[in-house]
Amino acid sequence: MPQPDGPDLFDAHGRCLPGRTSAPVHRESRRYFRLGEPEIAPAAILARTAQHLAPDLETSLESFRDRIASTRQQLEADPLTRNVLRGVAVPFILPRLSVHDIGETFDTRFLPAVGNAYRAHLPDYDFVDHHPAGTAGKLTSRPGARHERLLAAMAQGEVCGLYFPCLTEFSVPAAVDRLAELPACFLLSGAFDTAAALVGTPDLLLRRDGYPPLLWLSGVEAEAPDAGYHFEAYGYNLTFNRRPHLGQTAEYWWHGLTVLCED
Amino acid sequence: MSCTATEDNKLTAGEAAKRNDLAARKPYVAAKLARISAMEERGEISPIIRVEKSYLCNFQCTHCSAEYYMDRHFKKVFKISDERRKIDLDDIRTLSRQADELGLARFVITGGEPLVMKDFDAVVEAIDPDRHYVITDTNGWFLDPARARHLKSIGVEKVQLSLDSMIEADHDNFRNKKGSYRRVMRAIDASLEAGLNLILSTVLVKGRAASPEFREMCQFCADRGIGLYVSYAKPTGSCTEHPEFVITKEDADQVRELEKQFPVFTHMTPSYGSFKGCITVKGIITVTSTGEVTPCPYIDFSLGNVRETPLEEILARGMRNPWLGPHRPDCLIGEDPQFIRIHTEKTRGATHLPLRWGDGFSDHDTLTPA
Repeated sequence: MPQPDGPDLFDAHGRCLPGRTSAPVHRESRRYFRLGEPEIAPAAILARTAQHLAPDLETSLESFRDRIASTRQQLEADPLTRNVLRGVAVPFILPRLSVHDIGETFDTRFLPAVGNAYRAHLPDYDFVDHHPAGTAGKLTSRPGARHERLLAAMAQGEVCGLYFPCLTEFSVPAAVDRLAELPACFLLSGAFDTAAALVGTPDLLLRRDGYPPLLWLSGVEAEAPDAGYHFEAYGYNLTFNRRPHLGQTAEYWWHGLTVLCED
Repeated sequence: MSCTATEDNKLTAGEAAKRNDLAARKPYVAAKLARISAMEERGEISPIIRVEKSYLCNFQCTHCSAEYYMDRHFKKVFKISDERRKIDLDDIRTLSRQADELGLARFVITGGEPLVMKDFDAVVEAIDPDRHYVITDTNGWFLDPARARHLKSIGVEKVQLSLDSMIEADHDNFRNKKGSYRRVMRAIDASLEAGLNLILSTVLVKGRAASPEFREMCQFCADRGIGLYVSYAKPTGSCTEHPEFVITKEDADQVRELEKQFPVFTHMTPSYGSFKGCITVKGIITVTSTGEVTPCPYIDFSLGNVRETPLEEILARGMRNPWLGPHRPDCLIGEDPQFIRIHTEKTRGATHLPLRWGDGFSDHDTLTPA
C-alpha cells in the first residue's frame, strides 16, 4: 500500500489515512472500488450548475477558476494536505440559500437537479430515487461534521468548494473521528455539497471497467442513528437511496471531505 | 420531482395477489416473509437456504456448478467414493427448526436434479411447508402436468426452471440432453397450470447479454408473465474448464439495462425495497449433502457444518468475514478477480468440496495480504 513520504494526512492515491480512530475502518485498501476518470471541467460545471441548480448564479467562470486554483494551491502548499490532490477533486458551486430544513431543501431543489443533470449529460441512462418518501424533516447537521460552516456560508452567498471522495472504506463513526484530526478547512461532506458535485460532474460515479464506490452523505445525520442516505451507481445509472450502516465499514462505502474556497 | 422516484415497496397487482393467496393458505409463512424488510433495517439477515441433499442428476451440463460434488465425478476422476456422512431427514428437520427460530423463511431444494430424488416429498415434509416457503430447482425433464399438480399439493410454492437458450439446439447442447428444451416448455405450461409460482433461471456466459437470443428470452418471459433469473457463469465446478464463460462488467451492466424493459433480474437486482447487492450469507446459503454450509452456490468454502455448529454461529461467521459480510454491488465469485484467484488456488486439486471451515474461509481472512 503506498504510504505518504512525509507527515501527510493522505496517501499517494489521495486516500485519507485512517488516523487514530477505533471505529471500523480499513487500515489498508486494495483499491478494488474506484472512481472512473470523470472530466473535471470548470466551465461545464458552472454551466450545469446554472442550468439545473442555481439559475440566478452570479459567480463568473473566471472567479470560479481562480477560487479553485487558490484553494488547490493552499492544499498543495501544506505538506499535511498536499496528497489529497492526488485523488479526485470535484469543484462545485452552491447557490445562496438560507436553509431551514436540510431535507426539504434537498428534496425540492438538489435531488431534482442531480437527476436532471445526469439525464442531460447521459441521456441513454437514468437517475433513480429509491427513497420517494423523501428526506424532509429527517436530515440534521451531524455533530462533529463541521457542517454548520457550510450552511452558514450558503446563507452569506454563493459557495465554491472542492469535494474529495477520499474517506474510502470508513464507517460513519470513523469518518467523524478522523475529521476531528484534520485541519479546520475540511468538512465532512453532506447532502448539498455532494449533490452539487454530482450536478456539476454527473459522471462522477460512472465507471465501465469496474465498480465505483457508494458515496454516503455523512455530513448530515439521518432520522435513525444507524442509517444514512447515499448516492450509488447501478450499472450506467445513478441512484439515491437510504440504508442502515450500523456503524460498520465496507470496501464499497466512501465518504467525502469538502473544502470551501475562500473569497 | 423531476427525477424518477420508484415506489420500491409498492407491489404489482400480481405480486400482491400472490402474497394475499399465500397469507390465506399459510399465514405463518406469509408473516415471516413480511418481516424481512424490518429484519434488514435492523441489520439482521434473512438468507434463503438451498439444500443439496442429493447430487443425483439425469443431465450432465457444460456449466454445472455441482459436478465436482457428484458421485459420478468422484468415481470417474478420483476413482474413489465419497465416504463423508450425508445429511438425512432428521438433519433437515433440525435445520428447519433452527432457521425458523432465526426468522428465516425460505428453502430451495436443489441438487443435482431434485425431481429424481426418491425422497423428494419427504424432504419437503422435513422442511415443513407450513413453516417455510418451499421452492424447488429443476431442469424440467420430469415436470409434467401431473407432477406439477403433485408438487403444489405437497406444499411446494415455487419452481425455478432452467433454460439456457431460446435456440432449441443450443439449449440441448449446453445441457447435453436432446429434447430438454421441449421438456422445459412443457414444464412451463405445467407449472403455471398447477398454480405454482414460476421463474426461469438462465446462465449468462460472456457476451450473451448483448445477443438477440438473450433478448428473445427476456421477451418470452415478459410475454408469459414469468420472471427471468440470470445467474452469471462462475469459474467453479464444470465452468472451471471454461474461463471464457466468465462475464465482464459490461455483460452485467447490459443485464441491468435490460431490467428496465423486461422482468429479468440477477441476485443483485434491487427487489421490493431490498438492496443487498451480493447476497453471500445475507441473502443465500447452501447446505451441501455433507452438511457443510457455503455462502453461495458457487463458493466451495464452508462456513461450518450444520451437524457440528449451530446455524446462528455459522451465519455469524459469514457476516464477520470481510469478503462476505459487507455490502458490495458486484458478484464476489463471478466478478472479483482477487477472490476468484484465491478460490481457484485453494480448491485446485481438492477431492472433497467444499473446503471445510478453516481451510477455505476462516476468522483470519483479510482483504489485503498480510
